[in-house]
Amino acid sequence: MEQTATRSWHDPGLLVKALPSVLLQTTCFIAPLLMTFILTFQRTRDFQLRWTWDLATWTDVFSKPHYWTILGHTLVMAAACVAICMVLAFPIAYGLATRFKRFENEIKILITFAFITDATLKTFGWVLFLDKKGAANFLLSGLGLPPESVAFLFTDWATLLGMVYNLLPFAIFTLYLSIDTIDRSLILAAYDAGASKWRAHWEVTLPLCKPGIWAGSVLIFLLGVGVFLEPKVLGGGVSPMSAELIRQTFETRVNWPLGAALTLVLMVVSVFVVLLFSRILNMKRAGFGT
Amino acid sequence: MSKTWYSDLPQYYQKQIRAMGLDEAGLQRRRFMKGAAAAAGVAMLGANSQQARAATQMTYMCWEGYNDPRIIDPFNKANDTEVGFDLIVDSPGGFAKLQAGASREVDLVSSDMPWITRMGPAGLAMELNPDDYADVYASFYDQFKPPFEPLISDGKTIGVATRWGWVGPCVNTDVTKPEVWKTYDPVFDPANKDKICVMDWGDWPILPMALHAGINPYEELDQAALEEVRKVLRAMFKNTRTIVGDLTQAQKGLLDGSLLGCIGAGSYLTSAVRKQGHKNIMAVVPDPKNGLNQGIIWVEATAILKETDQPELAQKLLKHVVSKDSGKVLSLLDSTCNVVTNKAVEELYTPEEKDILQVDYMWHAWDNSQMHRIAPNIDDMLSIWQEELAAAK
Repeated sequence: MEQTATRSWHDPGLLVKALPSVLLQTTCFIAPLLMTFILTFQRTRDFQLRWTWDLATWTDVFSKPHYWTILGHTLVMAAACVAICMVLAFPIAYGLATRFKRFENEIKILITFAFITDATLKTFGWVLFLDKKGAANFLLSGLGLPPESVAFLFTDWATLLGMVYNLLPFAIFTLYLSIDTIDRSLILAAYDAGASKWRAHWEVTLPLCKPGIWAGSVLIFLLGVGVFLEPKVLGGGVSPMSAELIRQTFETRVNWPLGAALTLVLMVVSVFVVLLFSRILNMKRAGFGT
Repeated sequence: MSKTWYSDLPQYYQKQIRAMGLDEAGLQRRRFMKGAAAAAGVAMLGANSQQARAATQMTYMCWEGYNDPRIIDPFNKANDTEVGFDLIVDSPGGFAKLQAGASREVDLVSSDMPWITRMGPAGLAMELNPDDYADVYASFYDQFKPPFEPLISDGKTIGVATRWGWVGPCVNTDVTKPEVWKTYDPVFDPANKDKICVMDWGDWPILPMALHAGINPYEELDQAALEEVRKVLRAMFKNTRTIVGDLTQAQKGLLDGSLLGCIGAGSYLTSAVRKQGHKNIMAVVPDPKNGLNQGIIWVEATAILKETDQPELAQKLLKHVVSKDSGKVLSLLDSTCNVVTNKAVEELYTPEEKDILQVDYMWHAWDNSQMHRIAPNIDDMLSIWQEELAAAK
């Protein structure tokens, strides 16, 4: 054991190998984060930063409920996006890894194309489709439905639609990678033991997909709390989320200390939510609460 | 042969450095940075590039449109220079960027007037001597000739006004009558629920609403006045269908009639659509209410950065931007069309272009408007905006 420890921390070769990573983390993550934290103790006056070292910004953050209303709304939207993405992505990823193996590459290319198409373009495309005078209403009225049947543009539902649409490929690919690595013989063994298709899926496939589900959920949740375009363009800006609040604070109000504080709050709360869910899952896995 | 800072570089780069005059001792930092950028450009574009031939480089921070080749190319040619651009998408963002250090690289800035004026006390912009610009001011509308008070800070002239327009309701005359918009009342009419568009352009939608509430936002406001602003914003959000930051979204909504009126914009929004032939889209200014003008005149201005190493060339560029020929181009861009401060440009307009720009209406708008300047309580009002928006849904 002692030898392992010596090799880990006193081996100059290992330290040299770790140096690029440590430098990268320090310069690109820890230092900017520290600067952001330091910024929160300053003030702006006449749109200029003043080095004051006080708690005025944090007092502002904790005394005004609207920051927390927007944060709560952001977390709910991100969680809803995770749930919908997972429900939609699972059958797609499962089909890709099993039933449609023959067309696997073609489907992956199609999804990748959708994935790499600019999100701004796709989001504005949805506006043209969902608009009162848009393609959806035009098609539906052609089918005899009343005019303006689709009327949810500039609502939270439209925001959610855009979020799911733009983030779904992340869920599909993480789940696909997870399902693709499942040993098929385990499922066949379940069938041999008398399990129905549904039971084999529930008791073998799904538990073995948990790492993919978890990884995809975390990824989508963290991307979801940072969405900016969808609430602005599809949501009509009338129900802002945290990223927009932070943008407004930095850009429009030129209040960098407050923007920095709101950024840190969003980061801390998001990581806390992820850790909380991770803890709950670990407790369940360990047998608590079942 | 003495060793220089660049003698270890390959011969090719040494040649470029000498060609650009960067081999003088004691280079200023900004000149070095510009030279490095040019050298990188040369490396990428080849030795025959325009950059290699231009004697000087300048950086111009401006809105899109000021960088139009029809404006800049003649200047480059006449002065053997290469003007590079740092395009801004919002004035506060441009100001913040300059404060964060970009002022060392930028020579000239064209932005919204209050932000140009702020550059004076912020130590970013150079004080201009109006006498040096007498030739320019000679052809200006009287309203913009010195002393043009909104561009003066602590008795110092900070910039020269370039382009202007008015803020007021933007409407489609096919679905609503302009006479209805002689007041902002339709914004609050329950019959217009989900038919009002608000521009998400910082203070632009807040200031007209404050004026409608009887508050002059350009004066120092007390808590009671701010409470009135809160009430009017709360009422506005009740009818708001969308808050957009993008011009095209608002223009599309006005054109297809899904939006009755757009608040927080004005001639800047409507003119480009009018240029495309949609003369039914227009920007109007409400009538004064209880003696308080309800419209707002916005002005863009140009200033020279204090840290420029080419003050004479920067001054030349400023004069070029407000010249008659540049003014014509600047006032009739594809993205937006707005009148300019140089009166001589008016002679160049066709009747059709005058109609696009609502030239016949502009002095009516001027007479019924406040001049946009620094609103002392703008941060309080923006904070109220955020609070009320969060509570609106």
